[in-house]
Amino acid sequence: MNIIVCVKQIPNPEIPPDKFRIDPEAKRVIPPEGIPPVISPYDERAVELAIRLKEKNGGKITVLTVGDPSSMSVVKHALSMGADDGVILSDQAFEGSDSFGIAYILTKTIQKIGSFDLILCGRQAADWDEGLVGSIIAESLTLPLVSLVKAVDIIEKGLKVTRVTLEAYQVFAVSTPAVLTVSQEVGRPRLPSGWGIIAAARKQVPVWNAKDISADLSQIGGVAARRKMIKLFIPERERKCEIIGGETAAEMATQLANRLTEVGAI
Amino acid sequence: MNPAIERYANIPGFILLYALFFVAIGFFIYRTYQLYRFLRLGGEENRFDHFAKRSVLFFLWVFGEWCVLRSVSKRDRAGISHFVMFWTFILFFIYYAYFFAWGAWHHTNSINVGVLDYFALCSLGVVLWALVRRYVVRPVRLEKNFEPAIILVLIFFLMGTHIAGEALKNLLRETGGSMIALAFARGFNGLSQSTLRASYYTVWWVHFLILFGFLVYIPYSKHLHIIAALFNVFFRSLRPKGALIPIDIETANRLGIEKIEEFSWKQLLDLYACAECGRCQANCPASLSAKPLSPQKLIKNLKTHLIERGMIKRQPAPQLIGDRISEEEVWNCLTCYACQQVCPVCNEHTDKIMELRRNLVLVKNKVPETAERALRMLMMRGDPWVGTQYLRTDWTNDLRVNKLSEERSIDILYWVGCTGALDERNIKVTRTIAQLMKQADINFGILGAEESCCGDPARRMGQELLFQTQIQRNIDTLKRYKVKKIVASCPHGYNTLKNEYPKFGGEFEVLHHTEFLDELIKRGKLKPIKSLDKKVTYHDPCYLGRYNDIYEAPRAILSSIPLLKFKELKRSGKESFCCGGGGGHMWLEENIGKRINVMRTEDVMEAEVDIVVTACPFCLQMFEDGIKKKHQQGSIEVMDISELLQKAI
Repeated sequence: MNIIVCVKQIPNPEIPPDKFRIDPEAKRVIPPEGIPPVISPYDERAVELAIRLKEKNGGKITVLTVGDPSSMSVVKHALSMGADDGVILSDQAFEGSDSFGIAYILTKTIQKIGSFDLILCGRQAADWDEGLVGSIIAESLTLPLVSLVKAVDIIEKGLKVTRVTLEAYQVFAVSTPAVLTVSQEVGRPRLPSGWGIIAAARKQVPVWNAKDISADLSQIGGVAARRKMIKLFIPERERKCEIIGGETAAEMATQLANRLTEVGAI
Repeated sequence: MNPAIERYANIPGFILLYALFFVAIGFFIYRTYQLYRFLRLGGEENRFDHFAKRSVLFFLWVFGEWCVLRSVSKRDRAGISHFVMFWTFILFFIYYAYFFAWGAWHHTNSINVGVLDYFALCSLGVVLWALVRRYVVRPVRLEKNFEPAIILVLIFFLMGTHIAGEALKNLLRETGGSMIALAFARGFNGLSQSTLRASYYTVWWVHFLILFGFLVYIPYSKHLHIIAALFNVFFRSLRPKGALIPIDIETANRLGIEKIEEFSWKQLLDLYACAECGRCQANCPASLSAKPLSPQKLIKNLKTHLIERGMIKRQPAPQLIGDRISEEEVWNCLTCYACQQVCPVCNEHTDKIMELRRNLVLVKNKVPETAERALRMLMMRGDPWVGTQYLRTDWTNDLRVNKLSEERSIDILYWVGCTGALDERNIKVTRTIAQLMKQADINFGILGAEESCCGDPARRMGQELLFQTQIQRNIDTLKRYKVKKIVASCPHGYNTLKNEYPKFGGEFEVLHHTEFLDELIKRGKLKPIKSLDKKVTYHDPCYLGRYNDIYEAPRAILSSIPLLKFKELKRSGKESFCCGGGGGHMWLEENIGKRINVMRTEDVMEAEVDIVVTACPFCLQMFEDGIKKKHQQGSIEVMDISELLQKAI
């Protein structure tokens, strides 16, 4: 079974919340100095799921990412976990792409690679949390899609896929090839083993540009984006503390209730 | 009147004696050769360097008996007994060598060397004391089993028959003999010549039979140490104590150790050298806090496993990890070095545990969950502190500390370390050290966001590859800024920068802040003039004391503070007791047995002091927690040494 996993490099979600900075002009997040970007945690779980499937059924795992050359670190991370190959998709022309653009780049790459049984993505990237790319890839390739996947088993004619819902789960039979977007319920991704790290260090990861995947430039980049971000800002939160007085507990409770009614909280 | 010439069933005594001697030697050589073959299952390691240094240490350690005499204290005088037995053994060894090479052949029944009698008598006394000690007053480090009794009884009768023989010989010849022989001879007064003669012959033969029995028994028992320890002391580790052997990633065909034969021959020799004296486990924080690890048992189990692997009699062969050593044992080690520090035969326990841990982490992916989280964090972000709310430069705040990226002309790099920069309590210490350096007009700077974990947590948690990535990254940064001198405030970072980085091409002058502050006081740059009327004790961090022999500097700083009353802890200096945070244990759960930081806090309470001072961010956190757990917040305070010093300036 050949699996393609799409991963994204995002600012480290472990950045302390009050260190979060943005550039409102450029409408960008400014990651604090010294904290390098990481693989999106959902994508890491997609890699984990791919490796588990490979361990059971054999096959080959190829990891794709769209980003600047520094994305090498996330591809290497996936390789050190146990993926076989990686490709970085990097081009000036890719910059500013929205989810449709990114999905187009990935679709073109997947078509170039050709043989695959399964495409895995994280359910959403942990930076913008849009969760669109996987679905658009499925649409472009006219493949079956299951989102929020927590488990996959191989059955006679395809896959048995378990999908998470709010209070239960659904089980689908899906023919391959298919696209699945993976949820955190898959479980903890493994820490790369020593041999994994060594093998990853020795692997070459090719960087493909728009030409390599014969991308139509009108489909990618800022110009092709179907929507525009107008404003990016960190909401201001105001906190006020008021101390409610009173002699007895009952009195305090009454005063509290009154005050809460006053401000419309109850 | 010579049992060696006398004929027994028409066979001359000395022929019988040599026959028995060669049988015993045969058994001895057979077993020794077998053990040697097992040893050769191990891998290569060069321990043939520094011949002169090794020889000097060997003589001091073995013939000077420094191996055991150095740990003679009010609580443990066993070293003195060992000294007596060792020298008795050496003298008797020379005597027997001469006897079998020359004496017996020339029909001398024994050679009169009076000095032997004195040693034999002392040994008798020592053996009796050892028996009492082992089976009556037994100190914790000794185990109550049968094997030592066999040895002690054998020695007792060997020495007893020697003295009795000398006494009887004196009576039969009525000449010569030492004072001891003469004194004991009185005991046999009044016996007839024939009885004396029969007794003498019996005693003489019994003596040699015991000797031969001893010879056969040695290589099967823990007394193998009398041979193996000699080599083990000579081939001891001479590398810096705080440096582990790195894995060469380019050529490695295994990661860590999975099978016993993957250890080097020297690591296997350790197993033979162990005398089961129990000093390691009597000083091991894991053993003392009732956790499933005893360094002695570890060595003993490894020895059993080596022999069973060598024999290949058992099928299916037991596995090293799982059947002989448990994963818990591998993880419970704090790498505090107490076992190695105290081991009389220079065994290297920590190195073995680290190799096993490396294999668990790097090959089998078996990492305790909390450790995995820390390692993941380190891998992704360059520090192990999951959930910290700080960035590396937050502590500088209003202090105006130079960053190397902005100001290159600095003399000293202050290596803050992850804990110093990211842990709330330790940020106070970091600020204090920076303030003290400013007060002393030191032109220093920091790497700030460019500093990344020194690698120690990864290395001690077995993640050697992550450790090497960190080292490479930091060495690149340090070289880019042409850093020459570093002051580190974390002993783990200090140890790593000082002892591990050189092997990866990072040679810097590295000082710990205790050394540096001490130097500043001595140079008059810092003047502790305000008096502090407090009772203070000092906890030696393992990676500062035992690993790097820095005991004096912190004590010198404390003694420079006027009116301060210093009191040593019960376990201090080389015998200091780990705070519980070493060897990656800052990120491991402690669920079994007593909490080690609580035990160490109890040591502090026993000393009845107001303040416990330390010089390590982990120790500081461990004490903060221990003091809370013992409800001592009001009465005992824990401080870094810099914080106390600042109060006096």
